[in-house]
Amino acid sequence: MMEDDVNAIIAKVFSISESQINDQSGPENIESWDSFNGLILVDELENHFKIKFSISEITDVKTVADIKRHLKNHNIS
Amino acid sequence: MTLSKQIDDLKFDKKLKVAILSSFTLNGLDETIHVKCSQLGIKYQSFVAGYNQYNQELLEPSSDYYKFSPDITFLILDIRNLLGENFYNFNNISVEDRKSLTHEKIKELKNIIKNFENNSNSKLVITNFNIPYYSSNGILELKSEFGFHEMIEEINNSLRNISKTYNSIYIYNFTRFISKFGEKNIFDYRQFYLGDIQISLNFIPSFADELMSYVKPMCGLNKKCIILDLDNTLWGGIIGEDGFDGIELGHTPNGKAFVEFQKELLSLWEQGVILAINSKNNFDEAMKVIKEHPNMILREKNFASIQINWNDKAENLKHIVNEINIGLNSIVFCDDDKLNQERIKQEFPEVLTLELPDDPSQFVPILKDLNDFNVLQRTTEDKKRGEMYSQQRERNSLERSISNLDDFLQELNITVIIKKSNEFLIPRISQLTLKTNQFNLTTRRYQEEEIRTRSNDTNFSIGCAQVLDKFGDNGITGVYIVKKDENVWFIDTFLLSCRIMGRGVENAILSQILKDAKTNGVKQIKAEFIPTQKNKPAETFLSDYGFMKQDEFWVYNLDNNIKTPKHLKVEVE
Repeated sequence: MMEDDVNAIIAKVFSISESQINDQSGPENIESWDSFNGLILVDELENHFKIKFSISEITDVKTVADIKRHLKNHNIS
Repeated sequence: MTLSKQIDDLKFDKKLKVAILSSFTLNGLDETIHVKCSQLGIKYQSFVAGYNQYNQELLEPSSDYYKFSPDITFLILDIRNLLGENFYNFNNISVEDRKSLTHEKIKELKNIIKNFENNSNSKLVITNFNIPYYSSNGILELKSEFGFHEMIEEINNSLRNISKTYNSIYIYNFTRFISKFGEKNIFDYRQFYLGDIQISLNFIPSFADELMSYVKPMCGLNKKCIILDLDNTLWGGIIGEDGFDGIELGHTPNGKAFVEFQKELLSLWEQGVILAINSKNNFDEAMKVIKEHPNMILREKNFASIQINWNDKAENLKHIVNEINIGLNSIVFCDDDKLNQERIKQEFPEVLTLELPDDPSQFVPILKDLNDFNVLQRTTEDKKRGEMYSQQRERNSLERSISNLDDFLQELNITVIIKKSNEFLIPRISQLTLKTNQFNLTTRRYQEEEIRTRSNDTNFSIGCAQVLDKFGDNGITGVYIVKKDENVWFIDTFLLSCRIMGRGVENAILSQILKDAKTNGVKQIKAEFIPTQKNKPAETFLSDYGFMKQDEFWVYNLDNNIKTPKHLKVEVE
């Protein structure tokens, strides 16, 4: 459930198709994932899941897997 | 973001060059304004200065910013950047030091502005500085001698005075943006620490909307007229069912909402916004409320057109547009009925149809959220507009009572006063070039700075016409710009405000230009008609007058007679 939502939000923010996204996706391999769009992603995720990430969580994210890990720490499943 | 790139291919009839200079990260603002401009049919070109590069760009005359030569520049500054460390340790320095620091900062800003004035023809919008809700002085902040908040207020006051001195400089009241949405919402500490973002990403669209308040009037896209329904829009209830004493207006909570709504509308009317009525009702019954109800704020004289009947609302709207003679895209339609809203949206997509809810307490905030009535300069004509339109209603009834047009024109006692452009007239001349669509030969748009430059250029003759008649002063309603070469004069711009069309004024102004040319030994006048979607009324003007088509131009040989209409008096100032 959460995983599907995350992929959909990522696809929307970076204007790519969901099939291009896997747990290893990140700024390294998604071209439009720059620091600004990264913050838009944070905004979208926070609004969707009604949570707030800490700065450490935000700066720690290197891949989609990291995002999912942090969401689990916020009790999102 | 991607939308902004795709829509560039659409057709645009206006263009605007925008520069954005800021002291903090404002990613996304440029793209958002781009999208909003495109939605309005404005071709958008932008220059975004590098992060915190505003000083270099504005102080160096050969900078990329000046090379870009924008029409409008947004300079968006923040107080942390301006005050540096002193933002935090103002308590550590003496009152005298606080004062001298503040004045030094004001001097810096003035120096930037002076450089801008010397090097650019752009309009400049500078944001003033937010006064943070917090001060370590706590409850004693306002008791302290030249305290933290007073420092910022002093800077803001100086900015306000600067904007009163220079025509081309505007201060955007950023403190008002903060009071509208709240500092705690707009300033997100995480985004600030992560990337010096001081307007959080969520609020970039709202901020872009605020800046669009300048863009719309620059492109002549501001709204000029509000068309209002009556039942459940200006008062509660239905006059035909509830009767004169049964409608809600005043006293009750809903009644107060309608009164307040009318007061806000009246206030817009006093600033030059035209009001009109479009209502399905029995005319006499509804007019009795407008004329006699003790709590009614808007009265007959406030409405430029009154359509109270049982006709289709779209048909009535068309009628109002014809009577007032303005473009559909300058109209706001205000009706509580969802079906009517839908009807007008479908029939006239150019009209801004408000989505009024059933609850009248929301009418005032909805009205206040519109940022569509802005003008860059309020001229005397704007303030008198309401009065002028009620005079126009009287003129129309005279016209209906006299069947022969010549007799009617004779009866009007028209005087046309031709005035050469001067500092006092420049704002109005520019305004007319920006907003006149119908009787406009070339539809060339000129900002004030451009009119000023040409007014000082002896190769140009720029003038305007004030029109008076027995019902009153129509104000400055015609403009011409002529480029003078030795043997040929070229009519670059010739326009007439539509409310004055069809009374021979256009012929009077044109013959004055021809006479002037002849006196100066000129042989030929060259003119041009550039067709647009809206300027059909001017299409045959040149040929009717006797101009001959020559390639893409219209030419008048000055050996010919110069015809002047006889029913009006022309004075040259």
